[in-house]
Amino acid sequence: MNKLKSNEINQLVEEVLDSAEKSTVNHTQSPNVERVHSILTTDKATLQKWFYLMVLGRALDDRAPKYLKQAIGWSYHAPYAGHDGIQLAIGQVFDRNTDHLYPYYRDMLTCISAGLTAEEIICNGISKANDVAGGGRHMSNHFAKPEWNIHNVSSATGNHAQHAAGTGRAMKKYGHRGVVICSQGESSVSEGYVYEAINGATNEKLPVIFVIQDNGYGISVPKKDQTANRRVSNNFRGFKNLTILHCNGKDVFDSMNTMIAAKKIVLEEGHPVIVDANCVRIHSHSNSDRHELYRDDYELNYVREYDPLAKFRRLLLRYKRFTEEELVAIEEQVKEEVKQAHNKAMAAPDPTPESIFNFVIPEPYVSIKYPDGTHNFQGPPKKLIEGINETLKAEFRHNPDTFLWGQDVANKDKGGIFNVTKGMQQEFGPERVFNAPIAEDFILGTANGFSRFNDKIRVVVEGAEFADYFWPAMEQLVDTSHDYWRSNGKFSPNIVVRLASGGYIGGGLYHSQTIEGALITLPGIRVVYPSFADDAAGLLRTAIRSRGLTMFLEPKALYNAPKAATPIPDDFEVPFGKARIRREGTDMSIITYGNTTHMCLEAAEKMAKEHGASVEVVDLRSLSPMDEEAILNTVKKTGKVLIVHEDKVFGGVGGEVAAIITSKAFEYLDAPIMRVGATFTPIGFNRILENAILPNTEKIYKAAIELLEY
Amino acid sequence: MKDIAVIYSFNTRQTKNAAKEIIKHFGNAVKIDEINAEEIDGPTFMKYTNLILGVPTWFDGELPNYWDEFVPELETLDLTGKNIAIFGNGDQVSYPENFVDGIGIMADLVQSRGARVVGYTSAEGYRFESSRAYRNGKFCGLAIDFENQSELNTPRIKKWVEQLKKEFE
Repeated sequence: MNKLKSNEINQLVEEVLDSAEKSTVNHTQSPNVERVHSILTTDKATLQKWFYLMVLGRALDDRAPKYLKQAIGWSYHAPYAGHDGIQLAIGQVFDRNTDHLYPYYRDMLTCISAGLTAEEIICNGISKANDVAGGGRHMSNHFAKPEWNIHNVSSATGNHAQHAAGTGRAMKKYGHRGVVICSQGESSVSEGYVYEAINGATNEKLPVIFVIQDNGYGISVPKKDQTANRRVSNNFRGFKNLTILHCNGKDVFDSMNTMIAAKKIVLEEGHPVIVDANCVRIHSHSNSDRHELYRDDYELNYVREYDPLAKFRRLLLRYKRFTEEELVAIEEQVKEEVKQAHNKAMAAPDPTPESIFNFVIPEPYVSIKYPDGTHNFQGPPKKLIEGINETLKAEFRHNPDTFLWGQDVANKDKGGIFNVTKGMQQEFGPERVFNAPIAEDFILGTANGFSRFNDKIRVVVEGAEFADYFWPAMEQLVDTSHDYWRSNGKFSPNIVVRLASGGYIGGGLYHSQTIEGALITLPGIRVVYPSFADDAAGLLRTAIRSRGLTMFLEPKALYNAPKAATPIPDDFEVPFGKARIRREGTDMSIITYGNTTHMCLEAAEKMAKEHGASVEVVDLRSLSPMDEEAILNTVKKTGKVLIVHEDKVFGGVGGEVAAIITSKAFEYLDAPIMRVGATFTPIGFNRILENAILPNTEKIYKAAIELLEY
Repeated sequence: MKDIAVIYSFNTRQTKNAAKEIIKHFGNAVKIDEINAEEIDGPTFMKYTNLILGVPTWFDGELPNYWDEFVPELETLDLTGKNIAIFGNGDQVSYPENFVDGIGIMADLVQSRGARVVGYTSAEGYRFESSRAYRNGKFCGLAIDFENQSELNTPRIKKWVEQLKKEFE
């Protein structure tokens, strides 16, 4: 090894500083990166801090598997060893007062470098109630601290790239100076939504640094099986408004200089940057993986050779920045710190079984004036589309922190595929109302990230052109549905997703389907489906004023239907989970919502006229939460129940309604519960097919007669 | 001809084989010192006018750590008057995007400190997409591909050594 004498070091530093201007060569991978730090020029205090953080991180990384072996916890641990340089740099560049950080499941050192303590890391690893990421609710090794803008993210690789773009959008809209750092592995760029995120970030010039930590493997899948470019960031070479920097993620100085440069570019040039950091994965992907099954000894030795911590330590000694004794003292300090952190974490409380229902979804806005969501307002009837449009405008006037985006929602006189948002961009401007790319996942994913910027924000998105195009966004919806619970109530995605839903327009597949049966299976979101203009207005107002995510399904066949038009009080509000009796009756009950409410009312009228039957029609309005009390009350009143909805009978909402009744009001039933809904088929385009598949007044009437006569 | 230093990592296999063959082809007409790159320092480096550096490429276009750790010191040296030849292993099939980048990175470094890089070779006969060692149709050193063209190693090394005999002082 080099035998530099201590008195030579100062001379060496001076020479380097002197020659820095002359030398334009950078041996690292991004020639334009300014060399702010080097082993010779970085001050000793900084080097000491870095070494301390790296030793602390590695001590915890090495210790994590022991918790599993002792059956204490940390059953998922993705070791970061080999990513040390870039993770240290991310955490050091991140400023929690101005920036937002989206770490991924391998980012232990990133989070330590950003300020998390050893105790906080261990409490996350062994899933304690005081885990700052989410009280032990999310998988171990998913480090976060939402109050510091270190976000709690999904396990789905790269999913948070869209959230990062959304937060970047919010920063830009609010004129906030800072950056979003989105950290992810190289395999994440095999995911389509990552491309959507980077496409959007570059198109909108968002202040985001996408850090790709490339260790060459997605679990056991080598990079060559993921994508053609060895440097995966080169897949994005064609994107405009983007700087791509490569760095050696194993090297502290190159990583630090590159991250500093990236932040500078984002702040000064106003466009996103990809930092592609080459790392090694010294260990297996996680503790459920055995890398010796697919990596030979030569490779394992090769990656161990480039242990970043060992390299940094050698440099500190070689260039006489520290003595062996000084480094050993730091290592001893870390050992003691980890020991104490371990003791504290072991003594920390576990989450309780009773806590599982905390923070599933935030408490909604409470209506004082309309506690049961009904009114006696007399006025000219307004169409359902008017009710939605006017409520949106009223809420946007009421709350300046409201935003709306989606496909087709704002282009001159057009306001959505059905013109529901007509006039909004003209009134509220393109900063608050704007088009989104045709990328449903991105629309919702950015809404999630946008609302992370500030809890006051309310985002309304038109989730897709038609509800049945929403499926690509299910990945983001499922993830968003977890957020409030997973973060132990620290983050609430405050979003209303509007979807033009249902059939009776001859649209066939992707234009005439309805998707609430799938949606209500998700805890953590609300699902509402009005059938009249006033309820649409009232539910929408409540949804926008509430925290949490509401799926607002609009029966598009009723947008302009006179039968759905009603008077609407200007300030109308409908609480969630409140059904509305649209027709009183005593002989039987029909429980329904959406398009079929009107068919049920028509059938009830016919029953009255032709059979003198008194049929009660209950419009659920809100599917999740569901008004169990109203359901049970009507059963107790009539003893006979027909459940009707447009969605498929099999797997539809009606199954849950029937289950509630049989388990809680069986003794009140005088007949089997009957159901009418769509057949268990896709929906045909030809009107003949659509009529055969979807319920209609005649089918409902026939079933009602059968039930009445039972 | 002045003494030559051949500097490479003694812990390597392929680089060491190539270094040994280079030394063999120089014969006994010149004094050659073998120096372990893992122990190289400035004073040792500065002793020689003619140097041959073994610089394989690691990962997706990086210097091996033993060279990388020498770089901060290397950047302080005045290499004016030195003739430096570089050879390096690369895999043009698996790593066509950064084939023998290490040679180019090292060449840039020593050139920036005043050294004359010698031993340029033709890039004909290789198939790759990009390389930091590629300059105007040539590599700024000798590219050796053990994985895909091992049969060409000996003739390439022989030819390169003959060239160095003329280019070294």
